[in-house]
Amino acid sequence: MSDEKAGINEVHRRDFLKAGLVFGAGAAGLAAGYAAVPDAFARAVFAAKKDGITNDRVLVMIQLAGGNDGLRTVVPLQDPKLHDFRPRLAAPSVAQALPLSNDFGLNANLKGVKSLWDKGRVAIVQGVGYPNPVFSHFESIRIWETGDPTRRSINGWLGRLMATQYDTLGHPLTGCACGATDVPGALRDLQATLTVVQNGKTFGFQGGSDIENAVTALYKGTPGIYGALFDTAISTAKDTIATLKTAADKYQPAAAYSDNAKLVYSSKNQLAAALQLAAELIVTGTGVKLLHVTLGGFDTHYTELNRHDDLLGYFDQAVSAFYSDLDAHGLADKVLVATWSEFGRRPKENASGGTDHGAASPLLLIGNPVKGGFYGAAPRLDDLDATGNLKYKVDFRSVYQEILSAHLGADAKAVLGDTFEQIPFIAAPVSVGA
Amino acid sequence: MAVETEATRPVSRRRRGVSRREVLGVALAGGAGVAAIRLLGIGSPPAPSAAPATGKTDWISPLGGESARVSQLLRRVTFGAAPDELDRALSDGYAKTVQRLLETPPAVPPALAGADQAAKGNAIRAQSLQKWWIDWMLATPTPFAEALTLFWHGHFTSDYRKVGLQTPWIYWQNLTWRQHALGDLKSFLLAVTSDPAMLRYLDLGNSTGQNPNENYSRELMELFTMGPGHFTEDDVRASAKALAGWREPQPGTDGKVGIFDPRRAFKGGPLAFLGTTGKFDTEAVINAILAQPATAPFIVQRLLTRLAMNNPAPAYVNRLADGFRRSKYSLKQLLRDILTSTEFNAPPTYRSLVKSPVEFMVHALKAVKAPELSQLAVQGGGGMGQNLFDVPDVGGWPMNEAWISSNTVVSRVNFVTGVLNGLKSVPPSGKAPAQHLESVVSPATAQLLNGASDDRERWFIVLASPEFQLK
Repeated sequence: MSDEKAGINEVHRRDFLKAGLVFGAGAAGLAAGYAAVPDAFARAVFAAKKDGITNDRVLVMIQLAGGNDGLRTVVPLQDPKLHDFRPRLAAPSVAQALPLSNDFGLNANLKGVKSLWDKGRVAIVQGVGYPNPVFSHFESIRIWETGDPTRRSINGWLGRLMATQYDTLGHPLTGCACGATDVPGALRDLQATLTVVQNGKTFGFQGGSDIENAVTALYKGTPGIYGALFDTAISTAKDTIATLKTAADKYQPAAAYSDNAKLVYSSKNQLAAALQLAAELIVTGTGVKLLHVTLGGFDTHYTELNRHDDLLGYFDQAVSAFYSDLDAHGLADKVLVATWSEFGRRPKENASGGTDHGAASPLLLIGNPVKGGFYGAAPRLDDLDATGNLKYKVDFRSVYQEILSAHLGADAKAVLGDTFEQIPFIAAPVSVGA
Repeated sequence: MAVETEATRPVSRRRRGVSRREVLGVALAGGAGVAAIRLLGIGSPPAPSAAPATGKTDWISPLGGESARVSQLLRRVTFGAAPDELDRALSDGYAKTVQRLLETPPAVPPALAGADQAAKGNAIRAQSLQKWWIDWMLATPTPFAEALTLFWHGHFTSDYRKVGLQTPWIYWQNLTWRQHALGDLKSFLLAVTSDPAMLRYLDLGNSTGQNPNENYSRELMELFTMGPGHFTEDDVRASAKALAGWREPQPGTDGKVGIFDPRRAFKGGPLAFLGTTGKFDTEAVINAILAQPATAPFIVQRLLTRLAMNNPAPAYVNRLADGFRRSKYSLKQLLRDILTSTEFNAPPTYRSLVKSPVEFMVHALKAVKAPELSQLAVQGGGGMGQNLFDVPDVGGWPMNEAWISSNTVVSRVNFVTGVLNGLKSVPPSGKAPAQHLESVVSPATAQLLNGASDDRERWFIVLASPEFQLK
């Protein structure tokens, strides 16, 4: 199969129930008013699945955690208001920006992104947000993760996608969080299996197969509200370890990934290693479709001037290496990189040389699948909302919709629950359900 | 084989203490459709009966017996118990043990070596700081205080990355939180607001009334006291102004609290905050927050879901919150109310929490009496998602189901392997399932325990089991 040779295999349907993973919540627990969470867990059963999406497109979501300052990422070059709001922050970023047009330039440290822009490989969607912006990190993260500004949903938008439109049975690497220890909210859905690998090189049981066998026997039919989660985590880990073992021999990185950026701002600072693991999973044909990585440290309430630039420089190096690596392996046409962040930052700077929580900000979509250029509309600095924040121009679910339907060939409405304005940044949409 | 069920097992309410026999003489109770069983006499060959592998499966609660209640108490609020600690608590009984936990003043940890040199060019090493605390969790005679300090470290959180290690501030914060862990919430909040590490972590130390930094103001309400949805953006702005004026103490001095500089404070007249208009300083902001109906339930909910049960009923939360307010926000009274409530020991709450990585690792090291292996707990937390003094973000650590992923379960098992490999000899394991799992185990665990060939293997099964991950 040519796709397998190219490194991405097709997903095949396997209809089976993993023994021991089905359970009902204890009746006593449910009767005594402790029902809500146990009931959610009780649904963590492996239902037999219909045929899933079988195309070979891959999505990599990069979370810029903390709230990325859009005005220092895609810099307005001509707006005098920016200098009024930001006496310390505006001048250097405007002077050093890498011009993309008469009006906008990229942060000076996004040199690799700029060179991809010049090749038509970068789409910038300006002014992305949602109605009635929320300025809490955690509330807004949840909104972005679930795709639900009403904050009623629990499952992540990619989790829902996996659970309903991919066949994750026996394919633990359909969705993978790289460089993390916990399941990112965007990928969360109790009906889907999901792998989390912090470090692909060390992932495995110390003590080898004896330990692995003992633990596999130990985590079977575990009772209680966490039982299925534990058992699934162990069986997923075991499958993933086996896959990684064969993958490691087949992969040689074709680009220099470096995490020597000395970023001390956040514990989530191994973006390059996480993207290298993502590349390994893609290149070696593990069947991976949906990847999530996180770079922390964007909550720049203070001394933003160099910190934010350093973060973007590090992001730029890691993403450039990832793109080059995939390109050298002949896979760049299949993979879309998309950034997201819970919000942008306040136009007006604060006493600490930083910026407080804001609203709308631009998203970057990077890779051969995109049709390069500007989309959406930049929010106006002379038309702020009552909280002094930028007004959004594009609902973030419009971006999700294009990713889902045009890039992944998924039923976007089934995932998002509605249809949104089309933002056609994918160059050659795949057909839905392909 | 003696078969004993919840219904037939005699429970004497008059007897204060719990006999050794009651702890160890657990029995197999395999009810129809129930897969969680109790083991009889680990060590003798019990051969568990064929319980159904799937179906209605919840843990059989052993909480009808006082020994299980004592064991659960120590697991939830003292990192489990070494055998001698458990013996003492069993002999005292539940009520007396609660009283002792609450009334024994927290033991003071030994000074962190080199901390006073941090500002003189010898920065503290993060690993030294982490090991200092793990060592104390293992050594302290008052582990309850450490469990509470860990809770507050995740609640009023700060991390060494932003605070830095060129001052002892993050270490001092730990000492301060311990002092307030059983005090009153108002004093605690005043200490949090002027804590040097917090002044840096949430930027209040470089905010001004003229151009306020909102970071601390927002998180004080959203994450520390009231929760989202109970304040407006205008409240965030107003309290940012009202709180401005604090600055960090001079590094290198032994100033353990921030300095309030009136020149940096807000001078613009009355502020409207949480429904009242007037002049607000730091104490007035905190008083206004404590007067809000949302504050007490928020703290109660947070404590319960980390230390007691995963999904407390609203009526229970409200009842505790009322008492908390009436006691003028006494944390000791709140904890007494929680630990002595029937809900705390209600059967549905049995094993309804997942141990945090630190709780899991410290309990494991206590169980095999291996404090000398504390370095493994320092290194082991990263893969499980919890490094001390290094929270993922200002929300602190996640809890319960968020601790479970393919990465974390492998890391937990590897920690157990590392600990057992690090021991030349292991303690006898015969009582381990009773002492650490109340002998309530799944059929899979029972089968492996019964087939284990030696102590080392049996300890591995106990500590790596899903049962041991729960509290």
